Amino acid sequence: MKSDQFSSTNSNRLYQMIIPIVLVGLALFPFSEPPVYFISFVFWIFLYVCLSSSWNLIGGYAGYLSFGHVAFFGIGAYATAMFGKIFSLSVSLTLLGTIPAGLIASLIAIIVGYPCLRLRGPYFAVITLCFAFVSQLTVKNLEILGGADGLWLKTMDVSVEINRTIFYELMLALTSVTVLVSFLVGRSKFGAGLRAIKEDEEVAQTMAVNAPRLKITAFALSAFFPGVAGGIYACYLSYIHPDVVFDVNMSILQVLMALFGGASSWIGPVVGAVSLTVVNEGLSTFVKAELARIIYGCLFIVVIVFMPNGILEFFSRRTKRIDN
Amino acid sequence: MNSTLIIQSLISGVMMGSVYALLGVGFSLTWGVMKVINVAHATFGLLAAFFAYTALQAYGVDPLISLVVSAPLLFLIGCTLYHLLIVRITSAKAVIVSSMILTFGIAIILENLMLLLWGADPRLFTTSYTSKVIIIGPFYFQYPPVIGFLMSIVGVTLLHLFLKKTYLGKAVRAAWQQPDASQLCGINLKRISAITFGLAVSTAGAGGLGMGLLYSFEPHSHNLWLIHLFLVVIVGGVGNVLGTALAGVIVGVITGLSMAFLPYQWVNLLTFGLLMVILVVRPQGLFQSEI
Repeated sequence: MKSDQFSSTNSNRLYQMIIPIVLVGLALFPFSEPPVYFISFVFWIFLYVCLSSSWNLIGGYAGYLSFGHVAFFGIGAYATAMFGKIFSLSVSLTLLGTIPAGLIASLIAIIVGYPCLRLRGPYFAVITLCFAFVSQLTVKNLEILGGADGLWLKTMDVSVEINRTIFYELMLALTSVTVLVSFLVGRSKFGAGLRAIKEDEEVAQTMAVNAPRLKITAFALSAFFPGVAGGIYACYLSYIHPDVVFDVNMSILQVLMALFGGASSWIGPVVGAVSLTVVNEGLSTFVKAELARIIYGCLFIVVIVFMPNGILEFFSRRTKRIDN
Repeated sequence: MNSTLIIQSLISGVMMGSVYALLGVGFSLTWGVMKVINVAHATFGLLAAFFAYTALQAYGVDPLISLVVSAPLLFLIGCTLYHLLIVRITSAKAVIVSSMILTFGIAIILENLMLLLWGADPRLFTTSYTSKVIIIGPFYFQYPPVIGFLMSIVGVTLLHLFLKKTYLGKAVRAAWQQPDASQLCGINLKRISAITFGLAVSTAGAGGLGMGLLYSFEPHSHNLWLIHLFLVVIVGGVGNVLGTALAGVIVGVITGLSMAFLPYQWVNLLTFGLLMVILVVRPQGLFQSEI
C-alpha cells in the first residue's frame, strides 16, 4: 500500500527519466576531478545505501529486524581476503572473488537463518545481534584468519585518484544492482508475500504463503549484497581487522538508516542512508565526535517518536495535507 | 583439575551471577510489564557506577552510600523519560521494536555524555576494602564481590516483596496480566508504567554499581553488560523476577567455570553462543513465565 505512492504511473515515468540521469551523473562524477575526499565520501554513501537496501529485504519488507547484518559484510570481507591469500590472486582477480564471497555469505545466512528465522520480534533481533558478536569473536580467535592481527591484502599499483575511482565505480554498480533488486522484489509476488508476513504471519500462512521459505530466501538474498560489499571494502582498505569489518555499530546503523527513511519502500533506505551519512559526516567535521554522536542519538529519538514510519512518509503525508 | 578450584570458581560465579541478576530484574520487568525493551538499561547502571566513582574520588564517599542519592535520582529520571518519550510509542503497533530503537538513542546519548564527562579510561573502585579478603578454610572471598552479592540479595528480595505484598506491586502485576481489565478496576496504567520504568532504572543503578565492584568499567562497557542482560532475562523468562535471579546465578556459574578453565577470549564467545542456543531451543526461558 505504502509503495503505491511511489509506483503510480505518473511518478513512474518521472522515475524512468530521472534515474538514468542520476546514475550517469554519479558515474561521471569522479572524472570531473573532484578532491579524493569527495570520491571516498560518496563511496561511503554508496556502501551504506547498499547495506541498508539489502537489509530492507528482510528487515523492511518482512519485518524481521536483523541486528547482525554486519556479520555478512565481515564474512564477505574475510572470504575475499582469504581467496586472495590462498590462491595468491592479483587485485582484479580478488575483486572477482567478491561474488563467490557473497555466495558464501548467503550460504551462511541460510544455515543460520534456518533455526533463527523461527524466532520473531525482539528474539530475532537479539539472536542476530549475538550472531554478529559470535562471528566477530570467532574470526578474532582463529589464527588461520589472521586472528586479532587482521589480514593484509594486495594493493593496486596505481595513483590514489585512479584507485579510488575504480572502487567508486564498483561500489556504484553494486549499489545500483542492490537498489534495483530491492525495487523489483518490492513489486513482485515474492515481495507481497514478505509484506503479508510482516502484517500477520499466521494469516499469511493460512493464505498459502510459504512463510519459512520466503523468509529464508529473503534472508539469503539480503546477505549476498553485504557479502559482496564487504569484499569490495576489504580490497578498498587493503587491510581488514575483525573490529572494523564486524563492527556492530555498523549493523545497527544500517537498521536505523532504513527505518529513518522508511522501511516499507525501496526508496526509504536509500533516502535514509544518504541523509544520515551526510548528516553524520557534516556533524563530525564541525563539532566534537562525542557531541556529534549525542546529536545523532537525539535524531533517532525524534524519528521514532514523531515519524515512526520514516521521514518519507512523514513528509508525503504533510504535503498531502497541504494539497487538500 | 582439583576440587578446590572448581568450588572456588563456583563461589565466584554465584557472586558474579547475583550481580547480573540485580542488573537484569529491572530489564525483565520493563520488558514483561510494559513491552518495552530498554536497551539503555545497562547504560543507566553504568551512569550510577560513574556517579559513585566521582563521589568516591572527590569526596571519599563509599559507593554503597552514593546509591542513596543515585537510586532515587535514577527513579526520577526513569519516570521523566517515561512521561516525555516512552509513553508516545506505547500506542505503536510494534512497541517492542520501536522501544529498542528509542532507548538505543538514549544509550548513545548517555554513552557519549559519559565519554565527555569522564573520558574513555577504564575505572575501578578503590576503597579501603577493595583488596581485603575473608578466608574460610581453603576458600577465599574478596570483599567487593561479597558486597555485590549481599546487595543483590537485598535488592532482588525487596523487589520481589514489593511485587507480591504491596498494593502498588500488585497493581503492576495486574497491569501486566490484563492491561484493559486492570484499568476497569481503577488502576492508572500510565502511572503504574511510569513507576515500573523508574523502579527498573533505579535497580539498574544498583546493578551497575555491583558490576563496578566486580569489574573495571568505561563508557563502552554497557554493550557487553547488555548482552549479559539479554542472556539472563531470556534464560529466566521475561517478566519473571525470581526466574531472572536464578538465571543470573546460572549464567554467573557458567561464566565463572569457563573463566577458570578456558582462555579468556573464549569466555565471551561461550556466553554469546549459549544465548543463541537457548534462543533457538527454548525462547520462552527455562522457567515458567510468571511474575
